[in-house]
Amino acid sequence: MSEASILVPLDGSEQALAALPVAKVLGETERAALRIVHVGERKPPDAELLERLRLAAPALDGSMVEVRTGKPAAEILLAAGEVKARLIVMCTHTAAKPGKVPGNTATNVLRHAPCPVVLVPPGHGLSAWHLHHVLVPHDGTPTTSAALRPAAELAERASAELLVAHVTDIGAAPAEAGSLTTPRYVDQPQHEWPAWTSEFVKRLACICPLGHLHVRLVLARGSPAAEIVRLAKKQSTDLVVLAWRGKWEVPHAATLKAILGEAGCPIMVLRA
Amino acid sequence: MNARQAALHPTDLPVAPTLDPAWVLVEEGFTLTREHELESLFAIGNGYAGSRGSLAEGSALSSPATFLAGVFDSEAGPVSGLAPTADWTRLSATIDGQPLRLDNGHNLEHRRVLDMQQGILWREWRHQNAAGRITRLQMLRLVSLADRHLLLQCATISPENYSGRVSIDAALTGTVTELRGSSTTVAMAVARQVVDSAGRWMGSPQQVVGQPSLEVRLGETYRLDRMVAVYTSRDTGEPREMASRQVERAIEDVNGVIADHRDAWLARWKASDLRIEGDPAAQRALRFAIYHLSSAANPEDERVSIGARGLSGTAYKGHVFWDTDIFMLPFFILTHPEAARALVMYRYHTLSGARAKAARLGYRGALYAWESADTGEEMTPPFVVSPDGEIVRILTGEQEHHISADVAFGVWKYWEATGDERFLVDAGAEILIETARFWASRAEREDDGCYHIRGVIGPDEYHETVDDNAYTNGLAQWNLEVGEEVTRLVAERWPEQWRALSRRLGLEAEEPHRWLQVARELYTGFDEQTGLFEQFRGYFGLEDIDLAAFAARTAPMDVLLGRERIKRSKIIKQADVVMLVHLLWERLLPEVRKANFEYYEPRCGHGSSLSPAIHALVAARLGDAALAERHFRQASEIDLSDNMGNAAGGVHVGALGGLWQAVVFGFAGLRFTDEGPEHRPKLPPSWRSLSMRFQWRGRWHEVVLPESGAERRTTGDDP
Repeated sequence: MSEASILVPLDGSEQALAALPVAKVLGETERAALRIVHVGERKPPDAELLERLRLAAPALDGSMVEVRTGKPAAEILLAAGEVKARLIVMCTHTAAKPGKVPGNTATNVLRHAPCPVVLVPPGHGLSAWHLHHVLVPHDGTPTTSAALRPAAELAERASAELLVAHVTDIGAAPAEAGSLTTPRYVDQPQHEWPAWTSEFVKRLACICPLGHLHVRLVLARGSPAAEIVRLAKKQSTDLVVLAWRGKWEVPHAATLKAILGEAGCPIMVLRA
Repeated sequence: MNARQAALHPTDLPVAPTLDPAWVLVEEGFTLTREHELESLFAIGNGYAGSRGSLAEGSALSSPATFLAGVFDSEAGPVSGLAPTADWTRLSATIDGQPLRLDNGHNLEHRRVLDMQQGILWREWRHQNAAGRITRLQMLRLVSLADRHLLLQCATISPENYSGRVSIDAALTGTVTELRGSSTTVAMAVARQVVDSAGRWMGSPQQVVGQPSLEVRLGETYRLDRMVAVYTSRDTGEPREMASRQVERAIEDVNGVIADHRDAWLARWKASDLRIEGDPAAQRALRFAIYHLSSAANPEDERVSIGARGLSGTAYKGHVFWDTDIFMLPFFILTHPEAARALVMYRYHTLSGARAKAARLGYRGALYAWESADTGEEMTPPFVVSPDGEIVRILTGEQEHHISADVAFGVWKYWEATGDERFLVDAGAEILIETARFWASRAEREDDGCYHIRGVIGPDEYHETVDDNAYTNGLAQWNLEVGEEVTRLVAERWPEQWRALSRRLGLEAEEPHRWLQVARELYTGFDEQTGLFEQFRGYFGLEDIDLAAFAARTAPMDVLLGRERIKRSKIIKQADVVMLVHLLWERLLPEVRKANFEYYEPRCGHGSSLSPAIHALVAARLGDAALAERHFRQASEIDLSDNMGNAAGGVHVGALGGLWQAVVFGFAGLRFTDEGPEHRPKLPPSWRSLSMRFQWRGRWHEVVLPESGAERRTTGDDP
């Protein structure tokens, strides 16, 4: 049985290094080895590799480094498939196009990855990262509950708190059978809210086992993206986990795109 | 085996599921996350006991619970809640070592049917396990309406393509005794029997305790009956003995128990059914309402009432609100006066709690608890942590004082409809006097020469600590006048009892006159020029927010706008002035009713499940058929639509009572005059006819209302 691995694409930029501390913690939590992948136009000499990646030897800390040539996104995806990567952890954008988040490579990896992807905002460099608070936006559908299972397992292994956020806005409730959204009627809040909170968590737990996780549910109102970003900052969130239905073109994924640009913390994207 | 059993094949059940879709609620297949909702919708009950419609074998989201009216758990904290008792419904099977479960193997067919006509929860299931063994099951569950202490579960099992060993695990066996709260003993006695299709007994009730294991043969059908008798120390000093004796008798005639139960439900329907021609969805919604209302009431116990979710779930802790007096009671008054009597007597038996609350707050008379359990003490939780993490102080228990007038209103309506003199003299008059006395002390005369009632919450709970809420003051005024009227009535017709009562209550002769003076001088917020009641002082100066912009919402307005914004706005939670128009219809001029409905209806956010039905009722009476139908549809979907999100904790019995009223008082236009009942129907266009029965002053009336508005009426002594 092959060792579980987490793929960490580094393009040699300073920004890309921000993925490494996150990947290390996730690797320890998931008991997975890190595989750093560098994709360039040509393979650098071995002696120059660390310098090319802007890494000092201790930073590798037992990680494997693989160098590939070709188109970055395609090679990263190939590598992920070859090693059956459990996760890909990479920076949201490293090129000098500040308006485009995520960048092209990250976008292509995200859209076609065979595994969950963790996108890390640049700017934190190699400073340490920890996993104490996980924020999980939830639209109340069973599909989302099912998609979040890996996140719940990760949070439990990390002994992190799972903060489940349901954002309500004007608009139709999901049509999926068994969905639970904000109650249309709140006859008596002193009874309704505790009952609703309990029901929401139970519906999540019957599909996505929560084990001994410390789970909190929070209800927010307004634009989902803005509220999730606000909560992520307010709650000192270390990781936001998003269940994504896989459609990227406009008008889809508007919330995901907005959060990727503004959350300020790593985002794990799971396919729903 | 008695005569009723003899005509049947040994494993046949004596009844079959009702086929008419207007009488059944059907759930095909299995959606795990809907289980809690379905358990509520498919709950069965008889007002003494209620059981959620949980899957017998359980699932990852099953919350089976059986509640007994009046059995509260007071040890969990200061706010007692209805206590679930032992799960008598648990029943699972293992076939050649493989558990029979919905999430294990392949479900070839799975259907749950709430048979509202017969009061039976049916389940039909064909299951194929991993080894390919196909098993057909039919299950029946009932809580007897004929004998409220009996609960019954029957299951037939047929191996379709195998012979093998079936183990049955029915967790509850023998006689179980539990102590609930600090004082109530609950005893459940269980008896079981298994019979094969040749009539051979697979074990007597005494032999099949534990986990019976059967060798089943292909082509055969086997039937398991599990009878439960339940008694509590509220019923008898010997609950265990009573339960044991009764279950031993009942297991001897299971089919008879089923037949008696079915007959009792048919009789209930004969008295209470509303038949709608031309609108199957409305028909089913109305029967769903009547079914759950009837399941929640017990005419034999006047020390319990009906909680906001009946006996169908844990939400609201079984607490009794104004829902019972204003929304549910009219149904019982007109179709089951014995049950209505028990409900108003509950308010009599909890009068001491209401007196204590009034005294604690510095008032005279009786101020009923906003949330009442077994003693009548205030049970409203003082705080809640809202889902956005805010700790919110709950003021309804301190400020929602209209509950006392609501109770009085229900009492008076019961008296008007039944002429139950004994009730009025022994109990009703005392409630009316003590509530009037409360209002006389609650209202204060101010410099403007008017009495005012300050610092209250009206039905619109979005606005707290308001002054002179129109609904509260309007009902208080009514309560004061009726309180005075009842003193004259009782003094005149039952002078001896009046002397005793007035002496016991310390009622001086001039006190009722003062009530009239307070009523006359009580500020009502009515503007002669506009014909509008101001919902409370300052309401007209609040921000007007156009609700049309939020038409597609699926969340209440206070969630969308936030509590502070909603307080500063004219958006109201539920019918408030519109409720006043409904209850005091005859006191208001037609143009006043219309003006107030037209002003307040567009400003109502319907954040309460009680609201849409009352708007449907008033719109129908005002002749706005389209608007009435729109509100009616919304009301009818509160539990039956699966996207409202909060049926999981139980059905909304108050809203169901409101739905019934929308049809009877709204579309049918039933009203009572000195000459008796009359109808002014305004049926929705799709309704070809509406048929109903009701009792008024001891006489049953049967009415068919065609589209033309004509009516045909017969009367008689029996339903």
